[in-house]
Amino acid sequence: MFVRMIAKAFLRQWKKMLMIAFTIALGASLATAMLSVMMDVEDKMNQELKAYGANITVVPKSASVISDLYDVGDENVSGTYLKEDELGKIKTIFWAFNIVDFTPFISTEVTLDNGDKGQVTGTWFNHHMDLPTGEELDAGIASLRSWWTITEGEWLDEQGSHSGDYAMVGTLYAQRENLSVGDKIHVTGSAADKELEVVGIFDAGGDEDDLIYVPVDTAQELGGLEGKIDSIEVSALTTPDNELAVKAARDPSSLSVSQYETWYCTAYVSSICYQIEEVITDSVASAVRQVADSEGQILNKTKLLMILITILSMVGAALGICNLVTASVMERSQEIGLMKAIGAHNPAITALVLAEVMCTAVIGGIAGFYAGIGFAQIIGHSVFDSAISIRPMVVPVVGVLVAIVTLIGSIPAIRMLLNLRPTEVLHGR
Amino acid sequence: MKKRKMYFRMITASLLRRRSRMVIALLAISIGAMILSGLVTIYYDVPRQMGAQFRSYGANMILVSEGDTITQEQVDATREQVPGDKLVGIAAYRYETVRINDRPVMAAAADMEQVRNTSPFWLVEGEWPSREGEIMIGKNLAQTYNLKVGKRTTCTYAPESETEAEEGETEEIVLDNWVDFTVTGILDTGGKEEDYAYMLLSDMEKLTGLPTEYDVCELSISSNSVGLQTIADQISDNVDGISARLVKRVTESEDTVLSKLQSLVLLVTIVVLALTMICVATTMTAVVAERRKEIGLRKALGASNGSIIAEFMGEGVALGAFGGLVGALLGFLFAQAVSRNVFNSSITLMPWLIPVTIIASVLVTGIACLIPIRSATQVDPALVLKGE
Amino acid sequence: MSLLELKNVSKIYGSLHALDHVSLKVEKGEWLAIMGPSGSGKSTMMNIIGALDKATEGEILLDGVDIAKKNARALTDIRRDKIGLIFQQFHLVSYLTAVENVMLAQYYHSVPDEKEALEALDRVGLADRAHHYPSQLSGGEQQRVCVARALINYPEIILADEPTGNLDEANEEIVVELFRKLHMDGTTLVVVTHNPEVAEVAQRTIVLRNGRVDHEMINENFTGKIKHITLQ
Repeated sequence: MFVRMIAKAFLRQWKKMLMIAFTIALGASLATAMLSVMMDVEDKMNQELKAYGANITVVPKSASVISDLYDVGDENVSGTYLKEDELGKIKTIFWAFNIVDFTPFISTEVTLDNGDKGQVTGTWFNHHMDLPTGEELDAGIASLRSWWTITEGEWLDEQGSHSGDYAMVGTLYAQRENLSVGDKIHVTGSAADKELEVVGIFDAGGDEDDLIYVPVDTAQELGGLEGKIDSIEVSALTTPDNELAVKAARDPSSLSVSQYETWYCTAYVSSICYQIEEVITDSVASAVRQVADSEGQILNKTKLLMILITILSMVGAALGICNLVTASVMERSQEIGLMKAIGAHNPAITALVLAEVMCTAVIGGIAGFYAGIGFAQIIGHSVFDSAISIRPMVVPVVGVLVAIVTLIGSIPAIRMLLNLRPTEVLHGR
Repeated sequence: MKKRKMYFRMITASLLRRRSRMVIALLAISIGAMILSGLVTIYYDVPRQMGAQFRSYGANMILVSEGDTITQEQVDATREQVPGDKLVGIAAYRYETVRINDRPVMAAAADMEQVRNTSPFWLVEGEWPSREGEIMIGKNLAQTYNLKVGKRTTCTYAPESETEAEEGETEEIVLDNWVDFTVTGILDTGGKEEDYAYMLLSDMEKLTGLPTEYDVCELSISSNSVGLQTIADQISDNVDGISARLVKRVTESEDTVLSKLQSLVLLVTIVVLALTMICVATTMTAVVAERRKEIGLRKALGASNGSIIAEFMGEGVALGAFGGLVGALLGFLFAQAVSRNVFNSSITLMPWLIPVTIIASVLVTGIACLIPIRSATQVDPALVLKGE
Repeated sequence: MSLLELKNVSKIYGSLHALDHVSLKVEKGEWLAIMGPSGSGKSTMMNIIGALDKATEGEILLDGVDIAKKNARALTDIRRDKIGLIFQQFHLVSYLTAVENVMLAQYYHSVPDEKEALEALDRVGLADRAHHYPSQLSGGEQQRVCVARALINYPEIILADEPTGNLDEANEEIVVELFRKLHMDGTTLVVVTHNPEVAEVAQRTIVLRNGRVDHEMINENFTGKIKHITLQ
């Protein structure tokens, strides 16, 4: 009989039930969409923040002590280098998946034809790698220096049409030397001399505008530095630092075993640095504070902002559902009054009303969940051009939320119904 | 005149005496309005607030001198060109090669307060130099010279003219300038700054014996790249001997990321608003649908459809307006709370948003009420009164 | 000319003939009762006379105007101007006071006048309860408010549908007494009821059966006073 009454209620009042289900669906879809976006926003923003370039630099151990200090031209010190053949190892560390880009640099002193001293930097432009893991990666400054604009020509393609003696130069240098695409520069390095053909001129809006960039091999041959590199810039997706990370960054050995585990297995910039140092011989990897810190700050803020917006919209959705459930249950006072008149006890009425509302909530909740995933994808695709990954966490959270909200929404209505006196209801108000 | 009085009397009676239902309706509308005004405020404030966050990437404009150095007057003139509320910091640096333990070290002098503004990402172990005789040194330098916070060191400077002039003469006459320093901080940036030593401008003057002239000047301005370009052009035009250039890495990236963020908030706002408004509408529909019987009675008493719609809409509009006002204020409080929590700064109230919110909630409520009222007026009063 | 005349009026719901070619005349100032068992077509007749519903066929002349062919809008005007309705369920607006409920009818008719509304309540003996809400009034009092509301606009005809259906004997008597007063003032009354006691007070009673006028009774010794059948 109970089931039959519920079924009847649905059949007769399908319009009203549909409206409740619809509102619950709206609320649920809102919660689903906001939760999914909120949980994914950190990853998505992290990707966007890669526009700022590398957040980790790797240099040889001793160079990190002396390095720039003597860039005035003290060639004797240039004794320490990283090994080029170890580069691939960066993609084998624990957090390999978080390494989105990296590029080696090797600079060497050259003499130009007019007697001026200059510096040539060897690097990857758009380097395609087949990793031992079977993955593929396109790395290089074309992606790592996303803010560069090519004012003339094109990006150097070192593995394709431009393998060999080609170069890209900065706008300032090009202006000073009156260079344009196709022109040749003759440079003499300590080990060889080369005729470099300019394939592109870039505007970096910084010091780099005064430099010459060439493929890694070319720079190594010029300086007689085969297999050697100066530094590596790594762009990694990181988790914003917390206290643990700060402590670990100072000295990993000061951590307890469990702290160490947590730290090592979290994508803090310091743990990624540590892991890179483990695979690259005699290297010091350090966070580029300008990028790493700001990233953390912006990620935290964005996340907090999204959390607060999510809370607001969830509260809105919750109150909306509560309201409608209350309003529509109150409407049925006459029917309930009649039930009481013919002898229904309060628990029976409560059970009936709750069962009806919960049935509606389940239907609405499921519909809303899928609609919410849709909304999340719309947001993902239109803002980040990629799908929002739906965390399994969302399902129980939305489920519990809808259940609680619907129950709470029913409370005032049920209390009112229980306080009804059948005579009042039946004989008009 | 009397008729209008009765109209208002009925509406106020309905609003005030059917309290439980009206609270429900009002609650729904206020929430809707609160979400509207809250999210729109946040949407408009995000670029400003987030822009400030992005200033943690450091300077986004540098001054390039047409001569060799930048003078204090040029720096001051530049400062005047930038709107005060947009300027986060302007730090001018003076670089000199000094000697610590007889080895050359690049030393920079600047107004440390400004440096803190333009380079908020600098991680200093210990304290920033604040008094004469205090020095902050880069991490690499500290390792090389085995310097720790609290240790003392001496910097020497060989004045160029003197050294050259007295090249051939006896050693004793070449008297280097020197200043004793206490190391107050070790600087960690992950960049070339780790190889420099930082001191106050007055110490640098003492050390070199030369008046302050800057080599580099960095500005951190919170604005998008278009706004920055305008400011840069203005500086280049109005300050003699100075041309301002944008740090493309920072400005371009900021534009990309910020526009993503803003479109995220925009889309979220649209989705949340659309859903909330529908929620408000369904609640209002439920609240009005309940009164079918009353509508039937009014019809039986000879009320035309027009006057019934006018009465119920009057209620709806009153509710919408009041709920909208309450919601607009709550929304502002919400946005304020968000801003306090997320950005530690208060939000600017946008007065136009209050009428907009009220109008929007009146519209939504009106439309939401109109549907059930219309359907109720179509029904035969006889049927409604007999009771379903 | 009769105030109200029904000529061959039928109302058909699907295959059910709720009213089947009914003809009826009501004179001005007359007190007519319509009786009949459930399903005899009383309510349908009441709705049609009250311009709440339209007949399927036939002519309904009210004050010489055929209202059968009028549209919903015109019917609304007729209800407003010529008819006062009294319901079994009272149908008072719960959030308006007694006097406001009366003023509601004035409002739709012409101009609300609180003084006049208070006078109407005084006539039904509720002057002291004018500012009470329906929920604070007894059934009888609510019905009296309803009567006051029905007569406030001086309608041509007052139509009462089971006016005593929800009332006890004492209140029944008060309401019938009100009707008597209205009758004395010259108001035309049509009372639909299945309570013989209430019907008997009227000048004339028609009895409906299966949608047709079964028979008609004239009250020879009409006094307008209710005679209670005391149970032995």
